[in-house]
Amino acid sequence: MSRRGDWVYENNGGTCVAIAGADYCVVAADTRLSVGYSILTRDHSKICDLADKCVLASSGFQGDIKALHKNLAARELLYQHQHNKRMSCPAMAQLLSNTLYYKRFFPYYAFNVLGGLDSEGKGCVFTYDAVGSYERTGYSAQGTGSTLIMPVLDNQLKSPSPLLLPARDAVTPLSESEAIDLVKDVFASATERDIYTGDKLEIVVINKAGTKREYIELRKD
Amino acid sequence: MADRALPRTAALACVLRFNFLGKQKRREERERGAEDGVRPRVNTFSPEGRLFQVEYAIEAIKLGSTAIGLKTKDGVVLAVEKRVTSPLLEPSSVEKIMEIDEHIGCAMSGLIADARTLVEHAFRVETQNHRFSYGEPMTRESSTQAICDLALRFGEGDEESMSRPFGVSLLIAGHDENGPSLYYTDPSGTFWQCNAKAIGSGSEGADSSLQEQYNKELTLQEAETIALSILKQVMEEKVTPNNVDIAKVAPKYHLYTPAEVEAVIARL
Repeated sequence: MSRRGDWVYENNGGTCVAIAGADYCVVAADTRLSVGYSILTRDHSKICDLADKCVLASSGFQGDIKALHKNLAARELLYQHQHNKRMSCPAMAQLLSNTLYYKRFFPYYAFNVLGGLDSEGKGCVFTYDAVGSYERTGYSAQGTGSTLIMPVLDNQLKSPSPLLLPARDAVTPLSESEAIDLVKDVFASATERDIYTGDKLEIVVINKAGTKREYIELRKD
Repeated sequence: MADRALPRTAALACVLRFNFLGKQKRREERERGAEDGVRPRVNTFSPEGRLFQVEYAIEAIKLGSTAIGLKTKDGVVLAVEKRVTSPLLEPSSVEKIMEIDEHIGCAMSGLIADARTLVEHAFRVETQNHRFSYGEPMTRESSTQAICDLALRFGEGDEESMSRPFGVSLLIAGHDENGPSLYYTDPSGTFWQCNAKAIGSGSEGADSSLQEQYNKELTLQEAETIALSILKQVMEEKVTPNNVDIAKVAPKYHLYTPAEVEAVIARL
């Protein structure tokens, strides 16, 4: 890490993954919080429920992440009161992008993955960089373990190219339970080699019945 | 460039000096305010509990050109009387129905200049801001509320607000995921959702005709015919494609071309 006196960020590590299905969305993140070579806690959630069909997972600097989640949750509440309905996932996606770009010259050190169901009930995943560039995809991984996980997801789930005509959907053909198993497997693998990923895995599954949470143990070393 | 700059700077200097004088005068008036107890201020209540300026503004709209709106299950129809006062006037330049967003249009009656400001600054900017922030069209009720928020921002002393209320009534036709809708706003900043409404000089006669002729099962075509026939009743001149405007939001906003207006006139 840099020794300059003005370095205001810190990377607290961790990995987030999301997979979109035809009528479900799986969002998962590990629960380890680290700094340098130390662990701060083994039990910290990186996932925030923003709206009833919309969940945000972020890894990076937890100070910025907490502020970002709080900001978005407040905006969602205002929207609810003003427009008499909850925010849809695509609307939250646009809002998150604008919020991140607002701080283009002093960014939120947050690597985000937004997952949920769109207004038609289909799964959607939006993946972001630190300054708000975003894309709707079928699956994504962000954080310290993303370079280990993304190639595996590409191998298993690679969607057709968005340049194809006629346009093909970016959702995976996997069933909900297959997607959950895939997520558990990739996290188990990432935990082996990434020191910042491990302890516990929090899996959130969103489908038309609602939101379900599950915790799986990961390696603690 | 130079010859245009001089009169423009002179005009600017006049406006600035005028504003400065106005500021002085207002400050003196405010200081005298304590003695001036009888005359109600623009945005304060009268002893009987009325806001005179708002009521006077509502009266101003009764002088405006007539506008009619009808809601059907397929969409909403708006028709306005253009009131072309001279054969030298270019009819297509008289714009009394405006597009707000793809799914919202509005017809106006009253002080058209006020209406333009309201539509431009409140309506269009708000709906586009919403699209920018949330990537989706604004719901029709929220956009109507946005306009009405601006209606009561008038008063004295405060540099930012207007000195009088907006003297304009709007018929807002919209379509969102809850279906088509028609809203009616007035200078008091209230809005009502209606199935059919007429505003402007011919509104009383038109409203009673609408009550007789309206029913919920109307098709868009029937609604067009009814709107135009009522307009014909209350207008002084004969209805031609040049002195009326028709628009529909079903589900997207569309302003009728003179040919389409002619087609509706033919069915009258």
